[in-house]
Amino acid sequence: MITLKEALSLSADEIKAFREELKSEIEAKKELNAYVGMEESGEGIPLLIKDNIQVKDWSVTGGSKILQGYISPYDATVIINLKAKGLAPFGRANMDEFAMGSTTESSYYGKTLNPINTDCVPGGSSGGSAAAVAGGIAIAALGSDTGGSIRPPAAFCGIVGMKPTYGRVSRYGLGAYASSLDQIGPLTQNVEDAAILYDMIAGYDPKDSTSVDMDYAPVSTALNPERKLRIAVLPHYLKDASADIQKAYVDTIEVLKAQGHEIIEAELLDAKYDISAYYVTATAEASTNLARYDGIRYGTRAKGDNLKETFVKSRSLGFGEEVKRRILLGNFVLSSGYYDAYYVKAQKVRRLIKQDFEKVFETADLILSPVAPNTANKIGELQDPMKMYLSDMYTISINLAGLPALSLPVGIAKNGMPVGLQLIAPAFDEQTLFDGALGLENALKG
Amino acid sequence: MQIDDALLTKLEKLSYLEIAEDKREEIIKQLSEIVSFVDNLSELDTTDLDPTFGMTNKGTLLREDKPSSSHYVSQSILSNAPHSEDNFFIVPKIIE
Repeated sequence: MITLKEALSLSADEIKAFREELKSEIEAKKELNAYVGMEESGEGIPLLIKDNIQVKDWSVTGGSKILQGYISPYDATVIINLKAKGLAPFGRANMDEFAMGSTTESSYYGKTLNPINTDCVPGGSSGGSAAAVAGGIAIAALGSDTGGSIRPPAAFCGIVGMKPTYGRVSRYGLGAYASSLDQIGPLTQNVEDAAILYDMIAGYDPKDSTSVDMDYAPVSTALNPERKLRIAVLPHYLKDASADIQKAYVDTIEVLKAQGHEIIEAELLDAKYDISAYYVTATAEASTNLARYDGIRYGTRAKGDNLKETFVKSRSLGFGEEVKRRILLGNFVLSSGYYDAYYVKAQKVRRLIKQDFEKVFETADLILSPVAPNTANKIGELQDPMKMYLSDMYTISINLAGLPALSLPVGIAKNGMPVGLQLIAPAFDEQTLFDGALGLENALKG
Repeated sequence: MQIDDALLTKLEKLSYLEIAEDKREEIIKQLSEIVSFVDNLSELDTTDLDPTFGMTNKGTLLREDKPSSSHYVSQSILSNAPHSEDNFFIVPKIIE
């Protein structure tokens, strides 16, 4: 598959021919179930879009039954931005319902398979985006990352996935899951493409009140893989990772040292607290955000004898099990009597987590961390919700603190599956993140 | 902490959701397990920490309250709604 950088130099005729070719390749790999719709919007370099980002006149459903029938009346800001750069939304990527999952098994459209080994999941929730890029049926894709929905899919499929600093990329037009954590980001074949796509979508947007109004300096034109950095490693964090991940981590540290980076050791709060703070915060916000799905204004309505019954039936029939679980949990942590012990407590812990990172970044430029405790799980392996939540242990603290992070492939495990590790940067320092990642990518190529 | 059937009923009401009879036992078990896990937050000392957490240090940004509307957007939403007529969403009878 050509890279995004290469595609940007194609002529209009070449792009047209490429789009036709791509369609037949997608058709040939239908069994992956990475695409759930073949909608197109405009002519240009085709870019796969996760099914929770608004593209005008497309069916955009968040992988949910409850949004069947909904047609988006507008383009998300990221879509407007990338159309202006010659890209064109091309196909909808499968995802866990409302981005709530780590495997892309909970979609209304059925599960997506991992192209490296179809017995495995591609990770979630941006599993369709990752599987398509890794499977050679998308140049690049947009995903969204609330607790790791871009990075583990990238790691499981052997590609690059990046979550920007909270506030860098407009959320206007992104189906809301947990508004204080959600960010849209790129999934690409390499680090440079990720930087290029990130530049296209980033920037202030008055339509998103959490979008940050600061000068934007493009990162992709300023990439410097030769920079020598101080990189913090987290030895105590490795205890819960598989032998394959531990080995990849140790090996990568050696590569970084050989590049001339300075390695220092750091410690963060035990990840079990991150998981708790995340699942309290995210479910609380989700229960509020998903209150809008009542069968009245958009999507699917179930027949009820009165208005209340219509609401309850539409929601009960329209939402899948994981979504219901998170709504119930969110209403629990927000309900009278439990609010202080769970929701308020989690917000305080969130502050602790943020301060913890800030302390490390007083002396480090970047942090190197695992992305997931293991390589891609087998299909059906994470049926138990608690087990699935624990699999997010290495990614959610970054969302809670609002930091940018990038997952890149560093090797292949004994079982033949890709291993990805992530670099984490201070808020708004995407330049250092991409510089470090590009340097590491180059060094790994040898 | 253990979630019981009465609490699940309360949460269903708050959530406008109905959990099927044959699923109740399973979901009670799952929710109890998750809530028991997140109880570990109480191990952390957060006495002096501010409970209001914002992603930026500047708080919520406000904008001018300027009215705006798009005829296309409202018509598009109405025409794709499960049930609409003229400029209205149609719902089951509210007042008997």
